[in-house]
Amino acid sequence: MRRDKRGEDEVVVDRVACTAHGVCSVVSNGAIELDEFGYPVPSRLTMGRRDARELVAQCPARALLIARDR
Amino acid sequence: MSLVALLDDAGLTGRGGARFPTSIKLKSALETGADLIVNACDGEIGVHKDALVVAEHLDALQHGADLLARRVQWAAHRGSATERRLRNAGLRVLPVPSRYVASEESALVSLLHGGRARPIMRQAPISTGGKDAQGRRLRPTLVLNAETVWRVSQIERHGAAWFRGYGTAEEPGPRLVTMGGNVDRPGVYDSEAGVPMRDLLEAAGAVDVRGVGISGMSGGWLRGRDAWAATWSDAGLAPYGIPTGTGAVHVLGRSACPVDHLAQIATFAAGESAGQCGPCMFGVPAVASQLERLADGVLPAEEMLDLHHRLGMLPGRGACRFPDGVSRFVASGLRTFSAEVDAHLAGECVLMQERAGATR
Ligand code: SF4
Ligand code: SF4
Repeated sequence: MRRDKRGEDEVVVDRVACTAHGVCSVVSNGAIELDEFGYPVPSRLTMGRRDARELVAQCPARALLIARDR
Repeated sequence: MSLVALLDDAGLTGRGGARFPTSIKLKSALETGADLIVNACDGEIGVHKDALVVAEHLDALQHGADLLARRVQWAAHRGSATERRLRNAGLRVLPVPSRYVASEESALVSLLHGGRARPIMRQAPISTGGKDAQGRRLRPTLVLNAETVWRVSQIERHGAAWFRGYGTAEEPGPRLVTMGGNVDRPGVYDSEAGVPMRDLLEAAGAVDVRGVGISGMSGGWLRGRDAWAATWSDAGLAPYGIPTGTGAVHVLGRSACPVDHLAQIATFAAGESAGQCGPCMFGVPAVASQLERLADGVLPAEEMLDLHHRLGMLPGRGACRFPDGVSRFVASGLRTFSAEVDAHLAGECVLMQERAGATR
């Protein structure tokens, strides 16, 4: 699990699974912007661990994942 | 000396375009007991070198594969002469659909495990194995381009010093280059990093050169005058923002409209996207349709901003690097042929002007 001292996680978008529901944009209060086709612009985003978990749980397509270390 | 150390000494990097050190890939493959897929698909447009390696160096190629892994599969496009040759030699062939991204590394691994020939979204290198979206377990798999495997066998036979006798210190070894487009003698040439591009162009009989496309859809463009003066190496092409990549050189003559050519390739690309990832599935066709209108001279100049914005949105947003390549390829073309692009925006193709000028 990628996690730094401030208790942050990195959320990554599974591009194959994402179906452009746009829920992530709403849940993240716009931190995740959507492109003209409704897909999230950033492929990874660092945020507090709790926010990250919340966001991952809300994606209806299960397209958001917590980044694993290589 | 171990094969890993030998390949490290030789400085062999993947000849499929990505240029990753082969010794590092092999080291992790040996640790995980990975299977080997020899990729003989020539997946990039304008590349024919894997076919040549199979046709002319199959014994050495097989020897290289045997050095690298116990279990080997041979990936070739279904129905190709290469597939036939491999089968006739009694090798285990993995028939690959002739789609652009079907021969991408993770797509081949997926296909080998009974999945579709489509790239897999992953967080760790596909070579270490893992699971696909359907939960299929993927064995650790080493995927190497056919030319790379042939070079391994040559290095084992002739040594690292022999290999380093070709190319430059940073980009050592012999390399195959596929010459095509507006040339008298298209085909695969023995070459190496550091040679003048003029030598390659002259060998293939290029005379009339408006521009040169390097490495198909994963590369970019040079203007004719720059191509005659450039050095064939990643370092030599770096000022133009393009890599030697897969080693394809496509000559565009003066009578060819580069904008039209870009539009054609982008439209082809739009049909080749594996249709899995939204940003690629919608972004590439959107780019292609704008290019088509540009080629037809009906794209309003204001829309160029949209086009560049869309190109900027493609990289890093797919399961594979296909959209990244398309973005770079198109952006490079628009930059290289800016004079022709401006003429199209004005509704007048340079070629039409030239033709009119010639008859005046
Ligand atoms: S909520 Fe999930 S499916 Fe919807 S746009 Fe965001 S990542 Fe994609
Ligand atoms: S990025 Fe494009 S080509 Fe690659 S897997 Fe996704 S949809 Fe297919």
